[in-house]
Amino acid sequence: MFSIRGASSSFLLGLLGCDIALPAPLPAGHPEEVAPRTGGTLRYASFGDIRSLDPARANDGVANSVVIFLFSALIDFDQKGKLAPELAERWEVLDGGTRFRFFLRQDVRFHDGSPFTAAEMKRSLERALHPATPNPSASYYRNIVGYELYTGKKVPHLDGIEVEGTHVLSIRLTAPDAAFLPLMTLPPARPVCPSAGATFRDDWPPCGTGPFQLREGGWAKGQYVRVVRNPGYFVSGLPYLDAIEMHFLMNPPTQRFKFEVGELDFVRDFTHADTIRFARDRRWQDSITRGPDLDIYGESLNTEMPPFDNVEVRRAVAAALDRKAFTAVRPQNLSIHTSAIPASTPGFDPAFKGQSFDLQGALEHMRRAGFPYDPKTGQGGYPKTIPYLVYPLGIHEKTGQLVQQQLSRIGIRIELRLVSWATYLSLSQRQGAVTMSPQGWQQDFPDPSGVLDPLFSSTSINATESSNSAFYRNPTLDGLLARAHTEFDPQRRSAIYGECNRILADDAPWAFTTSLHAFEVRQPHVRGYAPHPVHSFNFSRTWLDRATTTVPSMGPSR
Amino acid sequence: MNAHEALRKHSTLRWGSFLVSIVVLFSLVGPWVAPHDAYTSNPDRAMTDALLPVGPSIEYPLGADRLFRDMLARLALGGRLSLLIGIAASAIAATLGGLVGIVSGYAAGKKRAAILDWTLMRFVDVGLSFPFLLLVMAIGALLDRTTVTSLLATLGVTGWLGTARVVRAKTLTVRDLDYVVAARALGQRHVTILWKHILPNVAGTLLVSATLSIGQMILAESVLSYLGVGLSPPTPTWGAMLYEGQDSYILAPWLLACPAVAIVATVLGFNLVGEGLRDVLDPRG
Repeated sequence: MFSIRGASSSFLLGLLGCDIALPAPLPAGHPEEVAPRTGGTLRYASFGDIRSLDPARANDGVANSVVIFLFSALIDFDQKGKLAPELAERWEVLDGGTRFRFFLRQDVRFHDGSPFTAAEMKRSLERALHPATPNPSASYYRNIVGYELYTGKKVPHLDGIEVEGTHVLSIRLTAPDAAFLPLMTLPPARPVCPSAGATFRDDWPPCGTGPFQLREGGWAKGQYVRVVRNPGYFVSGLPYLDAIEMHFLMNPPTQRFKFEVGELDFVRDFTHADTIRFARDRRWQDSITRGPDLDIYGESLNTEMPPFDNVEVRRAVAAALDRKAFTAVRPQNLSIHTSAIPASTPGFDPAFKGQSFDLQGALEHMRRAGFPYDPKTGQGGYPKTIPYLVYPLGIHEKTGQLVQQQLSRIGIRIELRLVSWATYLSLSQRQGAVTMSPQGWQQDFPDPSGVLDPLFSSTSINATESSNSAFYRNPTLDGLLARAHTEFDPQRRSAIYGECNRILADDAPWAFTTSLHAFEVRQPHVRGYAPHPVHSFNFSRTWLDRATTTVPSMGPSR
Repeated sequence: MNAHEALRKHSTLRWGSFLVSIVVLFSLVGPWVAPHDAYTSNPDRAMTDALLPVGPSIEYPLGADRLFRDMLARLALGGRLSLLIGIAASAIAATLGGLVGIVSGYAAGKKRAAILDWTLMRFVDVGLSFPFLLLVMAIGALLDRTTVTSLLATLGVTGWLGTARVVRAKTLTVRDLDYVVAARALGQRHVTILWKHILPNVAGTLLVSATLSIGQMILAESVLSYLGVGLSPPTPTWGAMLYEGQDSYILAPWLLACPAVAIVATVLGFNLVGEGLRDVLDPRG
């Protein structure tokens, strides 16, 4: 158990400049690979909290990571990032991509014992898309026939969702959409028990078809959630774990202390210093995994406001940023990334250079924009100071200071304006409110449409809640994005997105800078874990090989 | 008793003055003698192979910060800011608190004027019932953007309540002294009595209270910066530097130690000076 005395001595040794080594990893039951065994509780934590476990409402990373334990989908991404059957044994794409027919498994039951059928799937989807449901992702499904009438309360059911048999469901779209299948992996498309009813209820206890289920008392908001094995799970022999416990609102240093003494089995929220300590300790190397680069970061340049309504100024910004310095802020989590499509997404072309650091080129762009700048005298450049909206205490507060330093070298002076997270979100999505701000995007599914449509399509612009924070309008790009939705051939689709990527790198509505990946450390007794290309915590085949049956206590939740 | 004699007799005042002098000197001279600019990152020279900022060395006497900037220059600049905010906010608070305290104390117990004392003191009671930092944070959130001026105003406007209480109590004892009664009997105007007879006699109390509050103001500014509601970066503030350093205390202890020592030394210094002044000005108190 961590003691105050231990902490004090660590601190004093630290002040004296002594590098305090990490403790050795706790030994596993077997040093070598053995067959998976069933049992045990896997414990991890998050500095965040969960607002809702209803798949129709949950839309943040922490909640979604638990939602996938409780709710299975018709189809889901496999370990290689390919769509694979789950509740649907197979599916067909018909009528030129406007109809999707799913053949459901017949051996699936909900956690409450009721059978899973096509009618239940239709009810679940209608519930998730019902106008009274606070579903932030509902508009993703606007392509379903009858969506407007249904959400406008003109009709009681969604015409586009048809029950063709007890275990056959088809969904009709108004136009072909190659990106529709990935949408069926998202939480709102995961079926919920009949007890959920036809409309959203805030007090409904989460119940689905997933590998784990939530029992009464298993969730204390702001404290923990404990999900236990679903004995009726449709995949024979899985899951291996008896239970998974996730503790909330635990700051990174506390997580690390608890991990060191064996009270946590898996940690992802590390301080900068702790990532370095684990990364350079040889004894821990076999227990470290790095997740895929799902998030992209960049500097959003409002193309409707001066000076960024001038493409040459945007190009100057993109060329002036030395991205190597950005990665030093969180070396174990940030990588240089210079284009719009995340590296882990199909359609990403590693040969494409994207935007790159070129100080002389940036000065030339400033000259072409009509704002020549002489670095020797400091004369010239853009004459006004540009406000840069940022929230406190995050990565962006630090990278914002680097942006400020680096842009001053080409005559662009920015002033950091620190506002609360809520103000930052609200203002940066409002038209005409913010000239420049740091932005990030975590894609919901590994498809370029999941990034490019919300961030750069003109259809994503609206006056108050614009996910296109650069308010970028380009008819050519809009045309390409629309074409990509109707193109089902993977190679031709990749080529279209490659062209989009080139346009965005050149037009620079964002100066792309870095991508973020998770740095995870697990106890050696955590076996069968591998980072998933989409899901945050992939414990579907994880099992525990503890050396001892005595498990340190985590407090009242146990 | 002159200043030299006071310093000789009172060790508290001596040590406090010494600490304050060191901090003031460091803050004034530090940015000039620091080998690097406080705002410029230099990862080429200030980053180790382990991707950490360099520790104290000849080139970087206090090491470098997380963005590979000179800690010495940033600490000294942060000191200027802390001293400015601490002293100016205390001056605002002392002026407001002194004014309210004197008026309230002078009016207390008088037939018609007592309502003024009652109103002012109930206002002070209500103000004191709010936790100081919470009040400051709430005002800061309303302003949406924190600047030196807004921080000064916020700390000054919320920091006078305690001073008003102390000054009122002192005024209550002074106003009944013979020379004040005599001045009143001679028909002097209230403003003249307050200015010429009451104020000089409560000035010592006011000075002690103001000096003690400088440390509290500096601490409050540091707490606000630590919580992320202080001045915007890249302005160096000790609180923000403390926040940045807390995660790295094992690998880069100077990030935490430098601002922590600076805050402790400054707050301790001003508190000792305040205590010393109290001993000098009010030996019986």
